Parts: sequence; C-alpha cells; structure tokens
Amino acid sequence: MVGTPVLFIAIPLLAAFLIPLFGMVWKESVRIVPGLVLTYLLILAVNLLNYVTVNGPIVETIAGWAPPFGINLVFNAFSGFLVTLMVFMGLMVWLYSYRFKSNVEYEPARKYFLLLMMLVTGSVGIVLTGDIFNMFVFIEIVGISGYALTAFYTGRDSAEASFKYLMMGSIASVLLLLAIMIIYSQLGTLNMADIASKMHLMDPKYKIASFILFVVALGIEAEIFPLNGWAPDAYSEAPGPVGAAFSGIVVKGAVYALIRFTYTIFDLSGSFHLILIIGLITLVVAEVAAIRQEKLKRMLAFSSIGQMGLVLVAFGIGTKEGVFAALFIMLNHAIIKPLLFFTGSYLVYHSKKKKISDLDGIGKLAPFTSVLFALGAFAIVGLPPFAGFWGKLSFLVAAANSDMILIIALILVVSVIEIVYYMRVVNRIFFFKRSSSLLARRPTPNAYIVMTVLGLAILLIGFYPDSVFGYLHNAANSLFDKSQYIHSVLTATIQ
Amino acid sequence: MDMLTLILVIFLGGAIVTWIGNKLNPVIGDLLFLAAVIVPSGMFFTGVGVDSTTTINALGLTLTWGLSPLSYLFSLVVVGLGILLAIYSVPFMKGNERTGAFYFNFILSIGSMLGILVSKDWVSFFIFWEIMTWSSYLMVIINGKDVQKVGIKYFVFSAIGAYAMLMAMVVMNSQLGSFMLADTFNNFQHMSAGYQILIPLLLLLAFGVKSALMPLHVWAPGAYSNAPMAFTSVFSGALSKMGIYGMVLVMITMVNQLPNGSIIRDVVAWLGGFTAAAATLWAITQDDGKKLLAWSSVGQMGYIVVGVAIGTPLAMLAALFLVVVHAMFKGSLFMVVGAIEKQTGTTDFREVNGLIRKMPWTFISALLSIIALAGIPPLAGFVSKWMLYEALIQNNNYILVILLFFASTAGFLYSYKFLHGYFLGQEEPEWDHVKEAPIGMIVPMLLLALGTFVLGTYPQLLFKPIDAALQYVGYTTTGGSLWADSVLFSQWGDVVMLQPILYAIIAVFVFFVIFLWFKGKKNTRYVSTKDISTSGEIPKEWENLTFKVNFFQPFERAIEPFLKRQIDKYYTAFGNGLEALFEFSRRVYTGNGQTYAIYAVLFLALLLLFKSNLFG
Amino acid sequence: MATFILAFVVGMTYGGLVRKITARVHNRIGPPFYQNFIDAFKLYSKTSAIHHGAMHFMGPAFLMVSSIVSLMIVPVLIPGGDSWYNSWFNNMNAGGDLVFLIYIMVFGSLGLALGAGQTGNPNSSIGVTRGLSQMVGFEIPWVMALVALMISYKTTSIVDFINIQQETGKWLMFENPFAFIAAVLAMLGMFRYSPFDIVGAPSELASGPVSENGGKFLFTMMSSGSVFSFVKLTLFVDLFMGGAENLVILVIKTFALYMIPVLYGIVSPRYRTEQAVRFFWGWPTFIGLLAILYAVIF
Repeated sequence: MVGTPVLFIAIPLLAAFLIPLFGMVWKESVRIVPGLVLTYLLILAVNLLNYVTVNGPIVETIAGWAPPFGINLVFNAFSGFLVTLMVFMGLMVWLYSYRFKSNVEYEPARKYFLLLMMLVTGSVGIVLTGDIFNMFVFIEIVGISGYALTAFYTGRDSAEASFKYLMMGSIASVLLLLAIMIIYSQLGTLNMADIASKMHLMDPKYKIASFILFVVALGIEAEIFPLNGWAPDAYSEAPGPVGAAFSGIVVKGAVYALIRFTYTIFDLSGSFHLILIIGLITLVVAEVAAIRQEKLKRMLAFSSIGQMGLVLVAFGIGTKEGVFAALFIMLNHAIIKPLLFFTGSYLVYHSKKKKISDLDGIGKLAPFTSVLFALGAFAIVGLPPFAGFWGKLSFLVAAANSDMILIIALILVVSVIEIVYYMRVVNRIFFFKRSSSLLARRPTPNAYIVMTVLGLAILLIGFYPDSVFGYLHNAANSLFDKSQYIHSVLTATIQ
Repeated sequence: MDMLTLILVIFLGGAIVTWIGNKLNPVIGDLLFLAAVIVPSGMFFTGVGVDSTTTINALGLTLTWGLSPLSYLFSLVVVGLGILLAIYSVPFMKGNERTGAFYFNFILSIGSMLGILVSKDWVSFFIFWEIMTWSSYLMVIINGKDVQKVGIKYFVFSAIGAYAMLMAMVVMNSQLGSFMLADTFNNFQHMSAGYQILIPLLLLLAFGVKSALMPLHVWAPGAYSNAPMAFTSVFSGALSKMGIYGMVLVMITMVNQLPNGSIIRDVVAWLGGFTAAAATLWAITQDDGKKLLAWSSVGQMGYIVVGVAIGTPLAMLAALFLVVVHAMFKGSLFMVVGAIEKQTGTTDFREVNGLIRKMPWTFISALLSIIALAGIPPLAGFVSKWMLYEALIQNNNYILVILLFFASTAGFLYSYKFLHGYFLGQEEPEWDHVKEAPIGMIVPMLLLALGTFVLGTYPQLLFKPIDAALQYVGYTTTGGSLWADSVLFSQWGDVVMLQPILYAIIAVFVFFVIFLWFKGKKNTRYVSTKDISTSGEIPKEWENLTFKVNFFQPFERAIEPFLKRQIDKYYTAFGNGLEALFEFSRRVYTGNGQTYAIYAVLFLALLLLFKSNLFG
Repeated sequence: MATFILAFVVGMTYGGLVRKITARVHNRIGPPFYQNFIDAFKLYSKTSAIHHGAMHFMGPAFLMVSSIVSLMIVPVLIPGGDSWYNSWFNNMNAGGDLVFLIYIMVFGSLGLALGAGQTGNPNSSIGVTRGLSQMVGFEIPWVMALVALMISYKTTSIVDFINIQQETGKWLMFENPFAFIAAVLAMLGMFRYSPFDIVGAPSELASGPVSENGGKFLFTMMSSGSVFSFVKLTLFVDLFMGGAENLVILVIKTFALYMIPVLYGIVSPRYRTEQAVRFFWGWPTFIGLLAILYAVIF
C-alpha cells in the first residue's frame, strides 16, 4: 500500500495552504506543486482501488476514536472508484490550466491553484467520509472554492453568476444543517453506518422530513431541476477548465452524497421513485433548454445537467444493473464533458460573446481541436463505437429489465434532441463558410496533451469496454450491499 | 484473429490510414483507398464461408458474427457496389479538397454495412447500424450544402429509427433473455401479447426509415442529392437495402407468427404501393437529375417493400431480385449523373443538353439503366417487375397491381425526362468542350449497365443465391427451383419461355436498326441537331430551341391537387411547434437569482406537501 | 410472318378507309381507300440525305420491335379454328402474356420518344411529353378493365379468354359491361384520334416527328402504326368479342370496333393534355373501379 485514504484529504489541503508560501520562494512552484500532488494521489487511488478489489473495503478512523463516535473514512469499491475518477479529472484540469488565459500572471495563478486544490479536497472528502457532519464541512469547502472560481474572471457577469451560486449554495447549507440536526436529535449519532443501522427506529415523520431536506439541499449542488438555475450561469462565466472541474468533479460529489443517502442510509420505500422522477424531469428540461442556447458553454452546461439527470434516473431504477449503468454514464461524462469544455474553450477563445454562431467554419483553422470536439460530441450522444454508447446501452438494458418502457421511450426521444443540438454545432464548425476575420487560438502544448489523452480514453473505452467493466461491476456491487457497508464500518478497529 | 474480424478491422483501420495518407499525398491516399476497399472485399468473397461464426465478448455481452445465406445475397450488392464505386471515386474526387474525409466515410460505410450483414446478435447489429448512419451523415454534408436542413433531418430520422430498434432490442432482451437474432426470432411467441405487437412495429419503423418508405421518406430526396454522386450510388444502391434486409427478417419471422400479422403486412404493402406511385409522380416534376433519381429511388424501394410485405415465395423472389437489379441500375445512373456533373459542372436539365455525341459511353450506360428501370425487356428490370405483378395477381392484390402499374407507366415519364434532359435536344456551343468522362468512371458504369442486360437474359444466375437465402429464412416450398412458380420460366416444361421472346426482341431490333442504317446512312451526311426543318421557317444558330422548362407541365397541372400536399410540410410544422415549446421551457431559467431561490423553496414545499404520496 | 403481312395489309387498309370515311363525313370526297399503300411505297423509295445520329435510327427500330413483338403475342385467330389457313397464324402464346403485352405496347412509344429527341426539334419533344402524359392517363382505366377480367376468370392468358368465350358462348363484352366500356374509353386514347390527338396535333405543331423523319424512317413509323392498330383491335376482339374463327369474321369485328374511335373522333374537338389526363382519371377510372367491383362480387 502506498498510503492511506486520509492522505487524499490531508495532502491537497496541506498543499493548498502551503502554495502561497512556496510561491514566495519560487514562482513557478505554484503551478508545479498541484501537479505533483495530483499525480501522487492518482497513483495512490489506483493502488488502493486494486487493493480493495481483492481485500474488501478500507475503513480508516481519524483521531483515534472508533466509529460510531469518531469520524471515519471509507474507501470501498464504490467510493474508491469515484475518488479515482475525481483525481484523474483533477489532474487533467491541472494540466490543461497550467497556463491559460488568465492565470499567466503570478497573482491569479496562485489563487487559482489554491482554490483548485481546495476543490479537489472537498470533493474527495465528500466521497470518502463516513460522517454526515463531516460531509457538510466538505460540501462547504467545495462551495467556497466554487464560488471563488466562478468569479475568477473579474467582471460583472462572472460576479453575478458567482453571486447566484453563492445564494443557492447558502440555501443548500441551511437546509442541510436542518436535516442533520433532525437526524442527530432523533438518533443521536452522526456516523453514516450507525444511522443506517438505526434507521428503522426513527419516527417516519422525521425520517421523511429529513430526507426531503437532504434531497433539496444536495439537489441544489447536484443541479437537479428546479434547483439548478445557478448552474448554467456558473458554467458559462467560469473559465473553461473550471467548468470542466465542476462537471467532472463537483457534481459527482453531490450526486454521490444524494445516492449514498438514498441507498445506504435511508430506507424509505418511495425514495427510488422520487430520484427517478427528479432525474427524468431534470433530463428533459435541461435537454430542451439546451437546444435553444446560443452560447456554447451554456449549451454544454445544460447538456451536463441533462446527463446528471440521466444518471439519477439510472440510480432511481433501483437495481444493480441500474447502478452499474449510472456509474458507467458518470464515468463517460467525467471524461467526455471536460473534453468538450476544453476544446470548446479554445474554439470560442476569440469570440466576444462566446456564441455558437461565431464558430462558423473554424474547422479549417483549428482542425485538431475541432476534430476532438466532434469526437466528444459523437461520444456523448451515444454513437457507437465510442464510449458513451456502452453507458447508454447498459442503462437501457437495466431499464428494460425493470419494465420501464415509457421511460426508455422518453430517454430515446431526448437523445434525438441531443443529437440535433450537438450536430448543429459540429456542422457549423466544419461545414459553414467562415468569415474572413475569424481567428483561432492555438492550444498550448499541455492543452494538446490533455485533449489527446481524453480523446484516446474515449476511443479506448469505446472499443474495449471491458477495460472498465470490472471496476464498475465491483463499485455497483458495493453500493448495493448496504449491510456490508454498515458491518465494515462499525467493526473497524482503531488504527 | 479469424477472417471476419480481420476484414472488419481492415475496413476500420483502412479508413483511418487512408485519411492520414491523403493528408500526406493525394496519390498515396488514392492507392490506400483502393486497397482498403478492394482487399477486404476480396478476402470476404474468398475466405468467408456461409457458416463460419466469430464471437467477441464485450461488457458481459456476446457479440456474434457470421454470414447467412440471406446476408450473403445482400453482401453481393454491398461489396460489389463498393468495389466498383471505389474505382469510380478516384477520378471523381480528383481535385476535391475533402477527398480524405470522403475516403474515410466511404470505407466506414462499406465496412459497417458488411458488419450489419454479418451480425448475428442485436447489439452488433445496432453498433454497425449506427456507424453506418453517422458515416453516411458525414457524407451527406460533406459538400457543405444545406447542412442544417438536409443533414440534420437525415440524422434525426435515422436516429428515430435506430432508437426504435434499440428500444425493441432491450425489451426483447429483458423478455427473452438474449440478444441473439436467432433466439429472439425463435422464441418470439414467449413474449406477452402487447410486446408481440410493439416489437415488430418498432423494428419496422427503424427499417422503414432506412428504406425511405412513406411517410418516413422526407429525408431521402435531400440526402441523396446532396451527397457526392459517387457515394449516392452506394447510398441508394446498398444502404437503403439494409432497411430491406431488416424488413425481410422481421416480416418473415415475427409478423408471420402474429395472429393478426396479415393486417400489418397489408398496411406495409399499401404504404409501399403508395410510395411507389407518389414518389414517381414527384420524380416527374424534378428539374435536377439528382433529385429526380432520388425520388425514383424512393419509388423503387416502394416496389421492393410491396414484394416483401406480400410475402409469398414468388413475391419475395421478385423483391430480392429487384434489390440486386435496382442496386445495379441505380448505381449506374447515379454514376452517370456524377460523370455529367464532373464534365459539365451542373446537373440541372435546364442547363445541360445534347450530350449524346460528346459522352457516348455515358449515354449508353444511362440508356441501358433507364430501360432496366422502366422494366422493359430484355433487361433485368422486366424480370423482377413481371414476377412482382404475377405474385400480386396470384395473391389477389388487384388494386395494388393497378397502383404499381400506374407507377411503372408514370415511370416512363421521368425516364424520358432524364434521357432527354441530359443527352438529347439541341447542342449548344457552350457545351462543345465537354469530353467523355475518364475511363475510371466509365468502366464501372458500363459494367453495371451491362450487368442488367446479362441478368435480364440469364436471370437464373441470381436465382440460386436467392433461393438459398429464402430457404434459410424458412421458405421450403420450392424443392430447389423457386422460379418454377413464375410463368415466365415454367410454362414450357424445362424450357425457359423468356428466352425465345428475348431473342425475338433482340433480333427484330437489330434487323431494323441495320435496315435503316444501311439504307439510310451510306450516302447521308450527319446533320447537327441545330439544323432542323420546321415547315419553311429556319431557326437561327443562336436560338436554342430545346424544350426543357416545365417539361411536363400539362401533366403536372393534371396532378396538381396531389402535389400540393406534402408530408414534408407536416413535419416542418411539427418541428416548428416543438421549437416553440422548447423556447418556452428555456424561459424557466430567468437569470434572476431570486427566482431560483423561490424555485428551491417551492420545491421544498411541494415535496413536503406530497410526502405521503411519495413515501407511502 | 403471315401474321405480319396480314397485319400490315389490314392496318393500312383500315387507315385508308378511315381517311375516306372521315372525308365523307366532312362532306369531301377524300383519297381512295388504298391511299396508304401508295404513301408507304413512296416513302420507302425515298432516300434520306441527312441523319441526326445513331439514336435517330434506333427510335423507329424500337417502335417496330414493339409492334412486331406484340403481334407475335396476340392470338389472331382461335387456335384450332375451322379455317385452313389457321396454322399460318399461330403465335407464341403463353400464360401471363396479357401483362407482357401491356408492357410491350408501352415500350414502343418510349423508343420513338428517344428517337424524336435526337433530332433536335423541340416540337418532337413536346409531342413526346404530351404523348407520355396522355398515356399515363388512359393506362389506368385500361389496366383496371384488364384486371377486372383477370379477377373474374383467374387467368392472364389471352388464349384462355378466347376459350372461355367460346365455351360459354357469351361475349365478355356483355359479361362485364363495365370493363368493356372502360376499355373502349381507354382505347380512344390509345388510337390518338380526336379528342386525344394533341400528341401530334397537326395544326398546332408545325413540325415534329412527321417532318423530321423522312423516307425510310417515316415508312417504318407508318407501317408500325398500322400494324399496331391491327394488334390493338385484334386484342380487343379476342378479349371482349369472342375471338375470330376465320379471317372474314376477324375483319368484320375489328372494323366494327374501329369505327367507334374514328366516328367519335371525326366530330370532336381536341382536348388539351391535362384535360385529357383528367378525363381519363375521372369517368373511365370510375367505370373501371365498377368493373373490378363487379368482377369481385360476381
């Protein structure tokens, strides 16, 4: 073992605090340190993931108090999978934003990487922790970093977007605290596994109330309808890599939390259906809104929201296959969406208003970027032989096996809508006449590397889905197995 | 790696390698392209037997690939057209800046079509189907014309069809536990009654879109005419046949097992008949060769669908025969249009004329193909149409006979328009420079056209594979000689009656040509088409007296009430309605932060109010 | 071969007779009834000085093919009839030849159309388009009538139709009157007499096929036309009027039938093409539908 789960939180947090200090010594270290941290974490994640595949979950206690009294971290196949994903995406975002539009100077760069580290810390913390108040803390960390990063470009629009995010985030925090208070007052514990084992003792009134509060609170972060008003603005005003980070890292954390509560902690009978319906509405509204967007990043934001809706629908099916499909879609989304954001950023670089109509004919000027954008578009729509197809297929099989015919039909109709708006953009890029004043920005070498890596990943998963099959399968199993979770946590010894 | 996988890999890899090669050096690109198409095709014909199977495991699913006699028949079309058109494409695309992309998509299309044909499980079927869809989509928009309207329309319709298929296949999997084609067909009865009707309908929707059956045809005229002609031959000749392949499978296996299956069959047959008639009428009104042929293709597919839907052995024989023959003459015709486009720069009838002496070989191909299309003996179109009529009469589908006859007769109109439009009429000085198309384009054209002649005289050549195909899917009535059903071949015992008639026709024709020729040509001089006699009035050289505009105006006036109703308009109206709906939902996101906060509170309240309904 | 000569002779004679009758109705004397032979001979002996290319030759050849092959299919006399010369007129008959025949008849016009286009004379093209359009018009009731017959008697062989009429002793003309009426109306279009003669409308088109093709071409076209008229008439007689046991009866029946379009045409003005097409799709089609219904019910 190369390390323990606590390092996932400790190291980036430490790095975040130390970055300004390093910066005073050597300016460039501000950029390099995050890279080193993330690389190490990635190696750690993969290592631990392979370990738990063989040996079962790792439960790590903090500060010497055994659960259910102390805080503990749980690294099992499910959370470990998500952590690996998040760290990988963090690495990609770091590599891409090593030097881009606004962090070329030292000052902004310092702030940027600091916040990035905090973002990663928070998100990974949400996934790893086994204590609900701890989760609240991490959500707050993510929130703060998110608000700040949204406002990174100093300007009126960014400030407004950030403010909306802040407002919604605060509402979320309030509701979350309320929910935690209810649970603590009823059950007397903050440990997730403990709550799960005692859930059947709780008064249904309080149970339902707290669950609803959790759903709304986490839903704001997870961008479900109608709570996601802040999201399109935040995504389009934030810098490209930040948008990628939001869709690839932050949202995953929020969705994880929502799912953990639904599957493991609560045992309400209608909860799966609720998640399903929420996901469905989110999906439909988001895709429909996407088709009318004129700005590229906004369109991508809505598409992202839609995908999350689809993930929730998959989770809402309630079967193991459903969970498998949901995880697959999450994986695909985590790879493809950032690619779209990255390439999209470069394509609209010189455009004042970042409109799609400014992309006409840019395919000739920036062939590499455009082709990768097209690849991303094809993949996310679900065309074989690219990665997105397998995810969609698993989802449809899971839905069919639960006899959800109408849902299948609805999802497929929505897919057609997706095709329309993505293909419109691809057409514009390649087949429209370009205006003579069109300029295209050459991506920096690091951006090239990132985009290529993501593109190759899409192709790899597309042609050889078995490469990720094992991990997904184990992750799905571990989520589904509630009792194992409870058991492994509550019987953990002090380390 | 066994043969099938190797072939598909070569196709896929070939596509990428060719694209890269083309970027380096056009000549290398050309050579790689030809190799990428011809090599795997050759391997396919020599190395793959009808019963070999390959399996690949992915994601817990087993993908099985193998060739069946039915797919063998279709693969003849696909691979044959592929090779000929690859040869044609090289001179056709010379100098075009998007050649690399063209090659890439071409190879992928051919490869994926082959993949569809060898898929023995639905997942592979769908994968290859989608690859075929998006690679042909890229072809449609490759010239940059009308990409948003025509291209997206094509993709949307194809996607709707493909997703219908996807839905059908996951439902079948959940009900029957398997993705294998054979399993779903054999165990079809085990599904509940509702699904038994839903699944074939979904599949027919998917295949109907691809074969441009009305009312799902609206993408076809635009897509066929906007794609480069070298590809449209494949598009119309082979790709649309994939829809037919699927339809045959569904009709024979599923619809036949339904208690009310004959209703579905009748409806599809009527749709096919209507498509044939309506599309033919639309073709007559077109002034651009590409659009005319596009509508004509839609109409011909209507014929094939009628044959498949009727389902008697003779009807299926006719339909499958027509599949091959149509690929041949339509492929040749699109190549003709491509040659004309290349040499003159336009395909509008009103601009080009009088090419008969300048492009004689093109003309001969066009003439033979048009005669085949019109269904005139001794070319192959006659054989297939004849058998279809016979089958319809035997099956008492008399109104359909009338409808198809009408379509055939009206077909003469656009056949004439096509030939007259390009080749006949007065020769203008502006087209004097036009030379015959390069030999790389002529040879494939001629081969296909002559092929229709050969098949017309010796239809037995095709009967063996068709017979094997039909027996494979369950028609066992023939005892080895399917054509015995048809009067054409069985009337006089073993002697095929068709041939004496054909020989007679050919003999008379040749006699009279020689008669007129020798009597007429020896001491005569050639006179250009400008030199006409009109009862004393001598038109000047610069006056062009070719009749082109409003060519069939009287006819169009006669069918005007029909022409006013276009299904396309309904779709457009529907699309606009949807856009308005979308606009409305976009406005939910007001951009005002307080609104969002209120949404959150309202949502919370809503959930709390309905908590008993939600959680029981 | 004998059939061909017969057809040629009879066709030409009819043509000439028609010209005579037309003239008389118009209160003129008119040419002698054998005028057509004289014209044909004259045309044959002319030499052409010019030609318009290969297609020009093929046009009339196509037309001849159409007429001759149709001729070979249509049974002229009832097989095994009571005349000593019957065997001269044995043709190639087989089941399903009715359908074949419909096709071949159409083939000719297409061929001529191609030849006409090559001359460069726009009026030829106009004439062709009108002709083809009109053809689509009258094909519908024609096919409907034939289909009605096919339904009633479950056969597509002309010989069978003759035999049925012989056996039952009743002419099909009376068995399914609707079919007969529809067919006759269609026949009006086929023969291209008024009111459907817009195709080669003499006073409208100053030129066209008639002026572009001289000499042997015109001879071919003219003889083909005569043969074709004969074929159509014989077909009608076979299908609806019980066939003919010997040549005399054949001549009488065909001539009687021929008078219908001729007499109607003499006194009619001309329809425009779209009027013609609409006409055919109106009453004649309706009657054709009645014919089919009749055949199905009875």
